[in-house]
Amino acid sequence: MVMSMTATHLETRHHELRKSRLVMVDGNLTSNLRSVNAGVSARAYVDGYWGFASAPADGAHVAARVQHEALANARAMAGFGPRAALVLPGAHHVGEQKRAGGAPMSAAQVTGRMAELHAWCMARYPSLKSTRVIVTDEDHTKQLHTEGGSRALARIQRAAAYVVMVGEDINGEPIELMEIVSGIGGLADIDWSVQALAPRLDTLHSHLQAKRHAVSARGGEQTVVLSAELAGMLAHEAMGHPCEADSVLAGAVTADLRGKRVASELITMVDLAHHYGDKEVMCPVYADDEGTPAVDVTMIDRGVLTGFMHSRETAARLGLAPTGSARAYGPDDEPLIRMRNTAILPGTQTVEQLIEGVEDGYLLLDTHNGQADATTEFMFGISLGYEIRGGRLGRAIRDTTISGSALKVLGAVDGVGSEMKWNCSGYCGKKQPMVVSLGGPALRTRAHLGGQ
Amino acid sequence: MGGAATVKEVTAAHAGPARPAREAALPLAGPEATPSTDLQGLAVGLIERLRARGFEHAQVQAGEERRCELNLAHNEPSLLRSNLARKVTASAIVDGRRASAQGTDLSDEGLERLVDELWGAAQAAPQDDAHAVSSGQHLQLTRGPLQADPQALSQALRTLLDWRATHTPTMMIEEATAAHWRERALVLTTGGSHLEKDLGWLEMSVFGLAREGEHASSFNYAGGNADSLASVPQAFGLARMMRDLTRQVRTRPLGERFVGDVVLAPGAITDLLEWLARQIGDGPLIDGSSLYRHKVGEMIASPLLTLQSRYDAPGCSPVTGDAFVAPPVRLLDAGRLTQLAPSLYGSRKTGVPHTPLGEGWELMPGDTPLADMIASVPRGAIVDRLSMGSPGPNGDFSGVIKNSFRIDGGHMGDALAETMISGNVARMLLDVAAVSAERIDSGSQALPWVRISGLNFS
Repeated sequence: MVMSMTATHLETRHHELRKSRLVMVDGNLTSNLRSVNAGVSARAYVDGYWGFASAPADGAHVAARVQHEALANARAMAGFGPRAALVLPGAHHVGEQKRAGGAPMSAAQVTGRMAELHAWCMARYPSLKSTRVIVTDEDHTKQLHTEGGSRALARIQRAAAYVVMVGEDINGEPIELMEIVSGIGGLADIDWSVQALAPRLDTLHSHLQAKRHAVSARGGEQTVVLSAELAGMLAHEAMGHPCEADSVLAGAVTADLRGKRVASELITMVDLAHHYGDKEVMCPVYADDEGTPAVDVTMIDRGVLTGFMHSRETAARLGLAPTGSARAYGPDDEPLIRMRNTAILPGTQTVEQLIEGVEDGYLLLDTHNGQADATTEFMFGISLGYEIRGGRLGRAIRDTTISGSALKVLGAVDGVGSEMKWNCSGYCGKKQPMVVSLGGPALRTRAHLGGQ
Repeated sequence: MGGAATVKEVTAAHAGPARPAREAALPLAGPEATPSTDLQGLAVGLIERLRARGFEHAQVQAGEERRCELNLAHNEPSLLRSNLARKVTASAIVDGRRASAQGTDLSDEGLERLVDELWGAAQAAPQDDAHAVSSGQHLQLTRGPLQADPQALSQALRTLLDWRATHTPTMMIEEATAAHWRERALVLTTGGSHLEKDLGWLEMSVFGLAREGEHASSFNYAGGNADSLASVPQAFGLARMMRDLTRQVRTRPLGERFVGDVVLAPGAITDLLEWLARQIGDGPLIDGSSLYRHKVGEMIASPLLTLQSRYDAPGCSPVTGDAFVAPPVRLLDAGRLTQLAPSLYGSRKTGVPHTPLGEGWELMPGDTPLADMIASVPRGAIVDRLSMGSPGPNGDFSGVIKNSFRIDGGHMGDALAETMISGNVARMLLDVAAVSAERIDSGSQALPWVRISGLNFS
């Protein structure tokens, strides 16, 4: 492919996405789906405008055709008038990411394991009204070629198993809780065996029993201890999204805060590219889908806002270096700035110490979703929590929501746990879905709880 | 297996306003120039392969999707996209065992691999007598603008940009799209169902916030589907959303707790309706957690609420995922639940009658002008967006009210920040006290504002 003299960037991606999703409700396999989506896309940057094209990977000349379309689309944008072209910065990665994990589980092994988990739960916890066992895995293979010289093979491999217990509260209304195992690789590479899950399911069931008698949380600002599982969500939603440079350019309040204190000095928050210490993280990214080598981004360093996540374009606009954060979810998607492995780094306290310091507040243990805002105001749903009274755990609370301004909530952190926990079970949503991982230690702070 | 149905609907429309002479051409040589996929050959061939492999029942879909989309980023045109996607989907049953697979490799070898994978997955599945496929369903549906008109998309974005600069200059469009979609699909079953659709529609969406100095509003978004984008930015509530953002730059926390009223805007009502749809669908019906399992014929909502289908809306169709043609339905008739909505599988599993639902809904307007509705609220808020997790199976929820204004004594006050409401969705549906005469029509949904009492503010 000969690039036009006016094109300053042309990337071509062969992308194959394999997924499976199986759902078993009370032993009935209600979903048993596998999919393969393979396509070729090209994105061109010409005279300040982008063009993108994608098509099925079903012929020898598809790459040339989508390159031609992408260039034509970018040139057609000149109909909107002349625009200054940016010089897109950054190196071009050459390398091949190795496959994670070993041989896959067979279909029979997967459905057999699901049935085994259901039967085990119903035998061990006879008061349960229902169980759901859900398993998913996805495997992306992306071969990227840029005119600037990138030749990269990148992968995303993620598997997750979910066990949901449904019971009834003392009023006969349905209540449920979920246990999740997730990790890099396929379903054979995470331990979701009955043996491994048994102690966790015992704990989950005891929480469900406590939730039968749950009381409403007291609405308003409260002292809260967030479990390690929640701290990752806090990092992602509260300050992760506002530190994506496209949000910064769109007017997020973080635009004026670089170099300023935005959190307690106990808080350091990072978006890791591929390693935490000497260990590969759950969603390793060595090069993004623009071919930029991926580097760690420290968003908050001991309370001070220090950096944003960038694509080549936002780096050019802000005069900074790209960070390898431009990622596309599917074969038809263009790269957008997305988090990779976002975490608050650990401190020194135990969870017990954090709880002991609370006279009147709440311990929040589990969440399944959250949302961010450009103002740094965030929320996430709480599906499991307890009162703390006099430094001791009290009654379980009904489902609620935690919210607040990240600047205030992170600023009020007065204790950080020492144990770090990671998961990569969900998706981040921003025009496209995206596989990300979240990590963090337990935190103590003040935040707003929904309730009476 | 469900009853026979035959529907034939063929309509077509052409998108967009007249092309302004001043515009440069936006040539699009991409997918439009690619020959159409032979969906009939693909679907028939796949179902024959499945039969030859030994499957007793099967449903296959061959589909092709084309998208032409213009993007704005940060108040400027940024990207022109052309996507072409083709895929086949098959769900097949042997000996009471079912599996499903999707693939984009439509070569002989690719289809054979898909059938092999399906066979292996089905063999590993537990037997279940509830598995079945539709029979006797027939539909040929052609509707909407079938050809992309890049000039019409371009004009819609230009109009949006001009309107923003004139009327809401502090509003920053982080992202906006104007797109043409065309979706062709053919669904066949071994039971003789033959469902064919060829839909074209236009889509517009705007996402952004307003900013003045160091103050910024929350983000908000609006959008929808239509046969034409000529009425942008008034369409889909875009202009209203953008104007409201400019009034939400400076906010105040509520600073107190009380029980009051909310006026929920159409975007926030969607959250309630989605929860209701889940409750009457397969999952909660099969696991027994649905609050509405035995409520058909009963009042589950205010008599002011009537929810009915609009399967003929742009981009929508009456075709269900399990290959049925859903008849028009009034799901909530003045608050009374008329049916549940299990799939064929869910129906056979639970014994609940199979009454399928398609795509596209409208909540019928009331007779209260929105201004009067606001004036009737002694204490509360008008809420454009609810930021919350999925309500629990019992309907309990709490969430942050976004893009919202305080109401005191019937008067709209400050824009709110860091304010939450909590309640129960099932209770909220019953507690609707007024429905507005005005609605926002986003194509797949047409929804009014509703006033609901008894929410906890904090």
